[in-house]
Amino acid sequence: MVPTSWYLILAAALFCLGMVGVLVRRNALVVFMCIELMLNAANLTFVAFARERGDINGHLSAFFIIAVAAAEASVGLAIVISLFRSRGTVNIEEVHSMKN
Amino acid sequence: MDKIQTFFQTAPVDPTSAGQALWLIIALPLLGAFICGVFGKIIGRQNVHLVALGAVGGSFLLSALVFWTINDFRASAPTPFGAVSYAVGADFGTWFSAGTFKVTMGLMADHLSGSMLLVITGVGFLIHLYSTEYMSHDAGYWRFFAYLNLFVAAMLTLVLADSMPLLFVGWEGVGMCSYLLIGFWYDDPAKAFAGRKAFITNRIGDFGFLVGSFILVLLVESIAALPAEKLNRAGEQGSAVVERYQQALSAKGPLAFSVVEETAKTLPNLLEQTIVAGPLFGRSYGTMLMVALLLFMLGAAGKSAQIPLYVWLPDAMAGPTPVSALIHAATMVTSGIYLFCRISYLLVLSPTVMVTIAVIGATTAFVAALIAFSQTGIKKVLAYSTVSQLGLMFLGIGVGAFWAAFLHVVTHAFFKACLFLGAGSVMHGNGDEEDITKLGGLRTEMPVTWATFAVSTVAITGFIFPLSGFFSKDAILDAAHHNHIEGYAGLQQFAWVLGTLTALCTAFYMLRAYMLTFEGPRAKDAKLKHAHESAPAMTAPLVVLAVLAVVSLVHGLPLMHVTRGGETVTQTLMENFLDPVFRTTNDLIAQRKAVEIAEEHGAPWATWAFAYVIALIGGGTAVLIYGRRLKLPDALEPLRKLSFNKFYVDELYELVLIRPLTFLSKAFFRVIDSILIDGIGVRGTAWLTQRAGGMLRYFQTGDAQMYAAVMALAVAGGLVWALLRVAS
Amino acid sequence: MSGVSPEQVLFAVFALAIMVSSAGVIFARNAIASAMSLVACFFFLAGVYVLLWAHTVAALQVLVYAGAIMVLFLFVIMLLTTSSDGPSMSFSVSRVAGSAAIVAMFGALTSVFVKLPAPSYGWTRDADAVATFGTIAKVGEVLYTRWLFPFEAVSLLLLVAILGAVVVAKARV
Repeated sequence: MVPTSWYLILAAALFCLGMVGVLVRRNALVVFMCIELMLNAANLTFVAFARERGDINGHLSAFFIIAVAAAEASVGLAIVISLFRSRGTVNIEEVHSMKN
Repeated sequence: MDKIQTFFQTAPVDPTSAGQALWLIIALPLLGAFICGVFGKIIGRQNVHLVALGAVGGSFLLSALVFWTINDFRASAPTPFGAVSYAVGADFGTWFSAGTFKVTMGLMADHLSGSMLLVITGVGFLIHLYSTEYMSHDAGYWRFFAYLNLFVAAMLTLVLADSMPLLFVGWEGVGMCSYLLIGFWYDDPAKAFAGRKAFITNRIGDFGFLVGSFILVLLVESIAALPAEKLNRAGEQGSAVVERYQQALSAKGPLAFSVVEETAKTLPNLLEQTIVAGPLFGRSYGTMLMVALLLFMLGAAGKSAQIPLYVWLPDAMAGPTPVSALIHAATMVTSGIYLFCRISYLLVLSPTVMVTIAVIGATTAFVAALIAFSQTGIKKVLAYSTVSQLGLMFLGIGVGAFWAAFLHVVTHAFFKACLFLGAGSVMHGNGDEEDITKLGGLRTEMPVTWATFAVSTVAITGFIFPLSGFFSKDAILDAAHHNHIEGYAGLQQFAWVLGTLTALCTAFYMLRAYMLTFEGPRAKDAKLKHAHESAPAMTAPLVVLAVLAVVSLVHGLPLMHVTRGGETVTQTLMENFLDPVFRTTNDLIAQRKAVEIAEEHGAPWATWAFAYVIALIGGGTAVLIYGRRLKLPDALEPLRKLSFNKFYVDELYELVLIRPLTFLSKAFFRVIDSILIDGIGVRGTAWLTQRAGGMLRYFQTGDAQMYAAVMALAVAGGLVWALLRVAS
Repeated sequence: MSGVSPEQVLFAVFALAIMVSSAGVIFARNAIASAMSLVACFFFLAGVYVLLWAHTVAALQVLVYAGAIMVLFLFVIMLLTTSSDGPSMSFSVSRVAGSAAIVAMFGALTSVFVKLPAPSYGWTRDADAVATFGTIAKVGEVLYTRWLFPFEAVSLLLLVAILGAVVVAKARV
């Protein structure tokens, strides 16, 4: 038996790695991938607790997160494409439209 | 004869449904106002006329139906204290309620408001008809008719309301329409200013009205909280009174007229006692009632142009003439009298208030009549005449002759509307010439206008032949002479003398205006060489009103014989007709004896003869002087000037009230507004915001990742803090 | 507890692989390399899900994530990425501070997790429950009964997302 806490620590590590990636990467696409990492960390905790408690609802939560992540990825990538069209780059440091 | 009487005393429609349809009378002109105001420009002049006339005409027909219905003794309006006969009414639900306070949307028509209904919609219809021609060249016709219809709706709300707050809605509504119509030609600053003056003066009065009704609420609620044994009264146990009272309060709220009436019935035994609880603690019921009524008098003085708030009415003549006729002569300005007739049962409990009203009314009547002596504008003369006649009505209220005051309201509505419309017709036919010294000789050139103006002049003065105004005015003066207000006999007789002098002056200035306008040669400096008679749409209302001014004299004749306590008493038609309205009032008069009403036995020939002679003297002098265009002797010139300048009351107000107020306002403006509010409040806030923004600007980089980093910091910080909290 | 169970060994292997591959996502210079690392990461995560008896979720993870979503990513990367333009990362003050905060957060979380009591797994004594736990039949049953409404809502969400993506990404005509 692997204790739940191990899974939780793994999830925390995954989440933190993802977040660091969001902070430091300059390519918008990679930033997106890091967000997917963070979502997976959340999924992992759900499934881990489902196993501990014998509660199938945790799996359903993971299922819905996957579905929402798919929606999010499609819209996000569409935004990246249109951003690339208008700016000619996917480097988010060069996109400062939130200023002013 | 009996058959006719039976016919007119049988309700043509079911009284209950008539009561439930009362709202239609208000809704029609309101709808008309909406259509004219919103779509008026699109649908064109003819259609606006159609809509406006149709709305008021339909309202008139409904009013006539209601009036017919309430002539039936079986018609009864439901109140929490049992049905009231000779009335119809219905409750249309709660308007608002807060705690124990409640206001319902109830309408009621009894003989008092029924008569008002006919006057408002009837005279209103005629004046609408007149306006179609009078305003035929004005581009703002749709605005005019929208306001006029709105006014009619508001005035109808005022008279149909069965509670003080709803009455106040109408009260404010007519004030607003009056303001809008006085300043109808708002591009003329003087006219816009006149509108503002009317509005502000009215506001002062409305303040009195509001505070008065607040005190009334407190009075009613303090009575409702009394222990039952204090409310014992003749033939009724206190506990029964309390129970009904509580029921009525929860059903209709403290300001419904039925509740106020019940309060008046309860008050006589309490007047000397002090209030034991509530905000009025320690004061006596009598004092608080007096204060409330005096505040109502302030409100009525504002709306009905009495001293000290009469100054707006003469200026209100800046509006179009039909407006002066409808609002500032026939209907709105009489709402003060209507209010006091409604709450007459409270008035008779306080002789002090009554004599105050009488003296204010008589003084106003006399002063205004003196001012009217020397005015040259035909509308100005009529305006001061209106103030003067309103003063007489208040005199009537003050001496307990409520029916006479109300009869004067009705007859005055006819002849004064006719006079104003006649004046409008004169101006219309003479190139808008208002100065009566520059008119003259119109008798042959404007025959219809002349005839109707002459009839109305006779009606208001009683010169040559006593017509309606003579009888109604004389009933007031008669009451002022013969009624008795406990403890104030001297003041009351003083008021009577003033009233009689007013009658004399009225005859003089009215005939002066008539002689200068219609008789004699045409003035040399007249604008037009020849005047032209107005179109039928204008003369027809004049004829109808003149006929009404003659016919309504019937109501002032003592034709009814009533047996009261084994004695046959004569009553005039109007007195008898209004008897159901003033039943509580009369009971209270009989019970308290603070006010005594002299009873008539037969026609008062002596009084009439006296009044007739007075009218002949006043009118005759004017005819003698102005028929020959005599010059005033130089010795009287200062007096003329004093009168012409309205006794410098406007200037006095300017000096005593407006200047200090302006000074104070300026001081406040300089110190509080400029320094505190603008300086610290507004600019200080702006400065602070700017500074804060300047500092925060450096964090606004537009770099999304930096924001995320800050978020991470915050999340980490929050997590650490939470862990520390848990650990400790 | 004596010795090391196969489960623990497998967990250790998967965990290590996840850490390595996710670090690869972050630190790879090339976006394609990042994406491939992410695919690997997802596969190892699916393995962890199997360890957790979540067979359905594991299957979905491979099908939807490693399959559909990552194909989309790769597609977009190949469509857009020009030659590598300068450093792939930036280390300004705020970013370093944020990263430090994240590390601190990880420390804080770990310090809590290690203190958690070992779970009893009392429910595993019910052999029936163990047999059906995480199977497609069981997940499907719950999904179409208790979670039916959210399921429909999510289908709507996906539809809207597709439409939105088309509208946003469409070239201006």
